[in-house]
Amino acid sequence: MIVNGVLAGLIYVIMALGFTVIFGIMRIVNFAHGEFYMIGAAAILVLFGTLGWPYLLALVAGGLLAGTIGVIAERAFFRKLARDEMPGMIMSLAISIFLQSVMLQYLGPSELAVERPFTGVWRLGSAVVPWDRTIVAIGALVILVAFYFFLRYARLGLAMQAVAQDPETASLMGVESGIVYSASFGIGCLLAGLAGGLMAPIYTIGPYMGELPMLKAFVVVILGGLGSVPGAVLGGLLLGLSESVLSTQFSTGVALIASFAIVMLVVIVRPTGLMGRSSR
Amino acid sequence: MRLVVFVYIAIALIALVPWYIDQRYIFHIATMITIMAPMAFSMALMLKLGQLSIAQPAFMGFGAYTAVLLSMSLGLPTAAALVAGGLMAAFVALLVGPVFLRVKGVYFVLLTYAFGQIVFLIFQEWTSLTGGMSGLYGIPKLTLFGFRLRNAEHYYVLGLVFTAVCYLTILAIEKSSIGSIIESLNEDEMLSLSMGANAISWRVAIFTLSGFIAGLSGGMYAFYIGFLSPDPFGFRGSVELIVINTIGGSGTILGPLLGAIAVVPLPELLREAQEYQLMIYGLCLIFFITFLKNGLVSLVVRRKE
Repeated sequence: MIVNGVLAGLIYVIMALGFTVIFGIMRIVNFAHGEFYMIGAAAILVLFGTLGWPYLLALVAGGLLAGTIGVIAERAFFRKLARDEMPGMIMSLAISIFLQSVMLQYLGPSELAVERPFTGVWRLGSAVVPWDRTIVAIGALVILVAFYFFLRYARLGLAMQAVAQDPETASLMGVESGIVYSASFGIGCLLAGLAGGLMAPIYTIGPYMGELPMLKAFVVVILGGLGSVPGAVLGGLLLGLSESVLSTQFSTGVALIASFAIVMLVVIVRPTGLMGRSSR
Repeated sequence: MRLVVFVYIAIALIALVPWYIDQRYIFHIATMITIMAPMAFSMALMLKLGQLSIAQPAFMGFGAYTAVLLSMSLGLPTAAALVAGGLMAAFVALLVGPVFLRVKGVYFVLLTYAFGQIVFLIFQEWTSLTGGMSGLYGIPKLTLFGFRLRNAEHYYVLGLVFTAVCYLTILAIEKSSIGSIIESLNEDEMLSLSMGANAISWRVAIFTLSGFIAGLSGGMYAFYIGFLSPDPFGFRGSVELIVINTIGGSGTILGPLLGAIAVVPLPELLREAQEYQLMIYGLCLIFFITFLKNGLVSLVVRRKE
C-alpha cells in the first residue's frame, strides 16, 4: 500500500514539476499539461505498440516529441502572453482542446491499451510489488535526479532559476529571457510527456486521458505551492500516499474527495501552499 | 454610441428569428442560447471580480439535479423545484465562497477547477441518487402558473424572459453603488478596504448570485431536455463558457450575450462534423486571444479606461 502510494506519488511529482516550472517562469497555468502527458503516452502506443521500437527508446522519443511541440507552442502562442495570467491560461486551454481534437481525429474516441513491456512481481518484506510499477518508479526517480542536477548545475537550469526569482534582475545580468521561456516550457512538456510514456502501459490511452493526471497535478501544486520545486515533490508524495491509503481503506471516490478537502484546508490555513513563497 | 443601439436592435431582431423560420430545430437552438447566455453571465459576473470560476457548470448541475430530484422523487411542483434548484446552487456557492474567495487569480482558478471536477465525479458516482452516467429519464415538463410548457417554443419564451431578467439585473448591479464597490475592489483593494468596503462579503454575495443564476439555468435545461446526465456539467461545460466569454468579450455584460449568440449554435450547426467542434473552439480561442483580446464587444463599445 505504502509502496504503491510512493509509486503513484512519483508520477504526480513529475507532472507537477513540469507544471510548476512553466508557471514559476512564465506565470502561465498550463491547462494543456495533461495533453502533453497524452502525447508521451500516444508515442508509446505508436512507436512501441505498433512499430515495435524498444520501450525505452519510444519513451525518450515521446518525451522529446512532447517537448518539441511544447517549444513550438511556446514560441508561436505563449511568448507574448508570458506573465499575463488570464490570457495565458485561456490560450493553454485552447491548445489543450486543440490537441485533444487532433487526438480524437487520429485515434478515435475509444480507449486503447498497450501490451505491458514488463510483467511479474517481486517482494519487499510483506508487500508484493508488480514489476511494471517498479519500472515506472525507477524511471521517475531517474528523471527527478536528472532534473535536480540540471537545475542545480547546468547554465540553463541556473538561468531558469534566476528568471523565476526575479526576471528583471536576471535580464540585467545578461540572461536572455526568450531562451529561458522556450526552455522552461519545453522542459515542462518533456516531463509531462515522459510521465505519460511511463504510465502508458499501466493505463489505457485515449484523447481525454490527460484530464485526471492534470487534476492531480493541480492538487499537488496547490498543496505544495505554485512555482515551488520542493513543494511539488512534497505535495506529490503526500497525495500519492494519502490516495493509496484512502482508496484501499474506502474507495477511489472517497480518496479524491478527501484530497480535495485537504486542499481546501491548506488554502484556508496557508494560501500559498506548504512551500510557496508568500510574496505575490 | 450609435453602434450600440444598432447592436441592441439587431439582438432583438435575432431573438424573433425562430418565429420567421418556424422550425423546431431553430427553436431548439434559440432555447439553448437563452439557457447558456445566463450561464455565461454567471461566469462574467465572477470575471468582473477578476476571478475566473471553473465551478459554474457544477452550480448548474446542482440546480438541475436538485430541481429534477425534488419534482420526481418528492413530487414537488416543478416551478417550486426549479426555484429550489437555484437556491440550492446559491447555498452551495455561499458555503464554499468564503473559502474560495480568500485566494485570487490562479489559485482561485485551480480551486474552482478541482471543485468542479469533484462535483462532476459525485454526479457520476452517486448512481443511486443521480443515475450516474446512464442518467435520469422521464423528467416531467415544467408547469408555470398552471400552464404546462410542452415544446421548444414555450421554453424559448421562458428563456427569453429569464435571459432578459438576468441581463437587466446585472446591468442594474453594474450601474449601482454595488458595481462601483466591486470595481474599486478590483482596482485598489487596500484603498477600498480602508474606505470601509467589506471585500469578502461583497465577493461572496456576487459568487452566490452567480451560483443562483447558474442553478436556475440548470433546472430549466433539465426540464426542457427531459433527460439528465452529468455530461454537461463537467470541464467541457466550463470550456464552452470560457469560449463564449472570450469571443464575446467579458468587459461588459453585452459581451457574453453576443458570445452566446455566436457560439451556442455552432455544435448544432456542426452536427455532421461533431468531432471538429473541439478543434473549432480551440482555433477560435487562439484567434481571439491573439488578435481580438477584448472580444466581439470591443468592436462595438470602446471600454472606458
